[in-house]
Amino acid sequence: MNRLNQLPTLRITPSEKLSLNYRGKTVQGVAGDTVATALYANGVRVFARSLKYHRPRGLYSLDGECSNTCMDVNGVPNVRTENTLLKDGMVVKEQNVKGSADRDWLAFIDKLDWMMPAGFYYKTMHKPAAVWPVAMKQIRKAAGIGVISADYQMRGQYDEMFVKAEVTVIGGGAAGMSAALAAAESGQRVVLLESRPHLGGCFDYRVSTTAEGTPLYQRARELAKQVEQTGNIRTFKHTSMVGAYNNNLITAFQVGGATDAFTERYIEIRSDSVVVATGCIERPLIFDHNERPGVMQVGCAHRMARTYGLLPGSEAVFSVGHDLGLEAAVDLFDLGLKINCVADIREDGQNPELMLALAERKIPVLKGWVAAKAHGGKKVEKVTLSTVEGTVNRQFPCDLLVASAGLTPVTGPFILAQAKMGYDSLTGYFLPTTVPEKMFPAGRLTGVNDPAAIEASGRLAGLKAATAAGADMGNLVAAAEKAAASLPGPQRGCKLVTAPVKGRKSFICFDEDTTIKNIKQAIEMGFDVPELIKRFTSAGTGPGQGGIPGHNLPLFVAKYTASINTPVPTTVRPPLVPTFLATYAGYNHHMFKHTPLHDSQIKDGGIFRNIGVWQRARYFSDDFDCKEEILNVRNNVGILDGSTLGKFRIHGPDALKALQRVYVSDMSKLKPGRIKYSAMCNDDGCVIDDGVVVKLRENDYYLTTSSARAGQTVEWIRYHTRFDGWDFSLVNLTDAMGVINISGPNSGKVLAKVIDIDLSSEAFPFSGYQEFTLKDAIFVRAMRLGFVGELSYELHVPASYTQAVWDMLKEAGAEFGIRNFGVEAQNVLRMEKCHVILGSESEQRTNLLDLGLGFLWDRKKADAKTVGAVALRQAEKDVGRLKLVGIRMEDDNRPARDGALIVDNKVRGYVATMRKSFSTGQAVGMALVESQLADTGTRLEIFEDECNGVRLYARVVAMPFYDPKGERMKS
Amino acid sequence: MVAIKRQSPVQFKVSPRNTEVRDNWTVALEYDEEGRGPWLADLAHKTRWDLQDSKVGEQRPCDLAVPATPGSCTFANDTLVNRMNRTQTSVYHLGAAAPALPDFAGYTDVTESTVFLALFGPKAFHIAEKLSALDFLDPAKQAPFLYQGPFCHVPCQIVTLEKAADGSGGFLLTCSRGYGDSMIHAILEAGSSLGLRPAGENRFSAWIRGLQE
Repeated sequence: MNRLNQLPTLRITPSEKLSLNYRGKTVQGVAGDTVATALYANGVRVFARSLKYHRPRGLYSLDGECSNTCMDVNGVPNVRTENTLLKDGMVVKEQNVKGSADRDWLAFIDKLDWMMPAGFYYKTMHKPAAVWPVAMKQIRKAAGIGVISADYQMRGQYDEMFVKAEVTVIGGGAAGMSAALAAAESGQRVVLLESRPHLGGCFDYRVSTTAEGTPLYQRARELAKQVEQTGNIRTFKHTSMVGAYNNNLITAFQVGGATDAFTERYIEIRSDSVVVATGCIERPLIFDHNERPGVMQVGCAHRMARTYGLLPGSEAVFSVGHDLGLEAAVDLFDLGLKINCVADIREDGQNPELMLALAERKIPVLKGWVAAKAHGGKKVEKVTLSTVEGTVNRQFPCDLLVASAGLTPVTGPFILAQAKMGYDSLTGYFLPTTVPEKMFPAGRLTGVNDPAAIEASGRLAGLKAATAAGADMGNLVAAAEKAAASLPGPQRGCKLVTAPVKGRKSFICFDEDTTIKNIKQAIEMGFDVPELIKRFTSAGTGPGQGGIPGHNLPLFVAKYTASINTPVPTTVRPPLVPTFLATYAGYNHHMFKHTPLHDSQIKDGGIFRNIGVWQRARYFSDDFDCKEEILNVRNNVGILDGSTLGKFRIHGPDALKALQRVYVSDMSKLKPGRIKYSAMCNDDGCVIDDGVVVKLRENDYYLTTSSARAGQTVEWIRYHTRFDGWDFSLVNLTDAMGVINISGPNSGKVLAKVIDIDLSSEAFPFSGYQEFTLKDAIFVRAMRLGFVGELSYELHVPASYTQAVWDMLKEAGAEFGIRNFGVEAQNVLRMEKCHVILGSESEQRTNLLDLGLGFLWDRKKADAKTVGAVALRQAEKDVGRLKLVGIRMEDDNRPARDGALIVDNKVRGYVATMRKSFSTGQAVGMALVESQLADTGTRLEIFEDECNGVRLYARVVAMPFYDPKGERMKS
Repeated sequence: MVAIKRQSPVQFKVSPRNTEVRDNWTVALEYDEEGRGPWLADLAHKTRWDLQDSKVGEQRPCDLAVPATPGSCTFANDTLVNRMNRTQTSVYHLGAAAPALPDFAGYTDVTESTVFLALFGPKAFHIAEKLSALDFLDPAKQAPFLYQGPFCHVPCQIVTLEKAADGSGGFLLTCSRGYGDSMIHAILEAGSSLGLRPAGENRFSAWIRGLQE
């Protein structure tokens, strides 16, 4: 197909050849082409088959308003090829076909439409019930809009950005550009979004002129140049606005070009005010076979020629309802298109200059006429025109039927911003009756069509938006209002909805194959509200997001039901334009915390798991029971990275009062050189954290929390002291200090090789605390603890030195066979000692007493009321609570899973943690059970998921399971 | 024999051309092919203090005034004082050496607590806007100023030291040390298309020297 290569309006570069693969053949296009225009240039007219009836579908809007040109591109289905720029080497396939788009074996379904009335899916093939699973599979095979592999991985780079602007302008046509330029005069930051790859909007391809005689395409380029030269306007082309949220948060996505580093980019704009200059799309004309390939909208036919240099046909008929249609007919005739007839729905009101131009070209015009039927198979061959009343018919041969009922504004941004929409009887548009705060309409969507009026309305909106964003533009606004008022205002719009046809093959929604007949059927079944009819018939629920039926559906319903109420449009929701989930995901950075020992843990064979915000080494071998790790701690010496532990400094004159408030123990009893283990409760007495506290000096304390609570500790203490006005300060040192835990009977021997302090139990007893400097450089806080039930030291070391200290200990421990142990081994070791981990042995309702930690609670604290104490006093008398007990399985080779339920005829509790204990040879664990089941020796019945009715049994046993006197950790 | 050396929470994939050992830190002074910017510099070795007091506004860290308004900063003599809230201030020492921690209980040395990065040069804020919704180029704000908010979803302290409407300038960023690997990966990925490269302390020092002249 020859291109019109010399047109000044072209957006293609004919000399730059690109190719794509279509059905195994190489097809040539040029730079600037979309996939669809490249295929069209190569003679492709049928791009896909429709969802339900497998009807042939062709180019219709060029703006992706329907699924007609959705195809599989590079393995991705449902790509709207009419606004997807061609890239060299693309592989394009038809979708929803058996065979090919031209010869689809399932095309016969079109003849069976009588079997598929509105809502048939809800009403048929349900009786007998056994039929449905079979029928459902067949229906799903026959219908659909593309197939994707379940393990398909999106290729490309998906970027994201968060932009701040005082004014955002949606729409880069003449009104949008004028608005951006006007707003930019304030010096504010302006963002301009344009969905096409170039600015210009409806001026971009038109050769009609302004009042000064400048062709509109040239005027558009002048404005675009001004925009590009204005430093405080940031322009995003090929960027579709998809969402509008509170406080003018606008979301959009941008398609990357050949030189961009991204495939698509999600953009989130926080804007003080917004101008909506999204213009109009065409309102589809409804007649029989109105979606047959060869039928296309005015803008589509016009842009095919002017933007892409492709005459869309050789012999055309126009059936239009607005002057843009007449303008296109004149221009396309001049470019070489034979036009057999122009049928204008309007009886009068046409632009006389256009009528004269048509007459000069001897193009017959029928006023008050409309297309009634497009004849042909896979493409239009002739058209039946009718008077709008249906009284007289005439037929004209053609391979192109340019059809459009009128215009309809793109009001999605207003609807998303919760604007109330109403019907404007002059323009026939659905427009916002009240405009959302700091949102301003501009351009053609207000009903104006005069070029100067479009620009003036844009300028006025831009100035108003800048003012709303805080600029002082009062005088300019007044002048702009005066200028806009002097220009032509909104024009009367065409009101015709359908040609005089019965509607069996008149499609109101192309995506879902919904006909006028379907809408009538729904109404006759009692649906009288467009929102309900939309759902029952699926009209407007396809990939086009209601672009085709959005306007016509409520108008037709109002007309067919003879409603006296004003029609109301159906709702649209984000994303307004189909977007890849990959685009929303953006970079998808995994933001996890690593300990200072992370890399060495990897080198040592650590197998990591995400635990809260941290990535931690859970295992150090493929044996996830961790037998060797556990026994090495019990019998020798192990070393653990415990750096995730929460660590805080609290200081100031009232620091002790704050500690008294949040801890259940009496913290005034803290002694120098000793650590105190305690717990924090919430107001319900439920345990939310535990850890140790050390008194460093007067009014200065160091405390630890569980890893999971470290992020909330400062807020927790501040919250519970908020009314007291106490003078204390908190510093989060969680990441400042690495923690190395060295445990096992040989741990003291290893440590003694590294440090120069007395480690005897007299000098450094259990629960002791010491500070020292290692190698004259590394300040260390050392605690003697016993979480795993063995002689154990916890070294808190500056994070940057943690690796050095770890390496020293590993070097010193080599002669003993020191080895790493991970979080799972630690979990089993502490379970054998029945030391609780909050979150494992507790849940939201578990209080201090339930866990057997009541001994921590000091009831005589005088200075401050303890958080949770009131609830604990009440809970003391409550006999119906769950109690933490030790349990042992009757079968020592079959531990129950964590979380398994303890049942009789109802749920009585659950297993908290249970493992096979290598230290005792028993399957033991802890469980929370109702207090009447807590006596030692009680037999418990355990239910596990997928147990197939087979129960497990355990008995309550004494705690702890290992070293009950604690001699090993205290010796 | 284990060498006593300190490790930064941040590791670049490229090795520096020149380094210097300072207080057991191996400080990268210069990298090969640092390019024309933007640059990312690891400042983990620079001393940071936390200062908290009920009358923090009366304190004078390094003889500098604590700004009266949260979000405001004082920058002089290679020292940055950032007012965080009613009672809290952070102090960054950006020169080669830092003074000893003052003998006042309200000070805590938090050098070890955080990642400390400088992202500066042309298009520095075009990288930032890929990772944060914070408005670094707010015309109403005069550099230096402090934000406490999310950067790549992580709570951060960010001090904008220099900004221009074209997105050039630079800022300092601190966040929990544990996020070092994730943060570096995120920033370098976001900046890869804009030519972001690691820079040594020399380039950073030249930048802040220029800001103080």
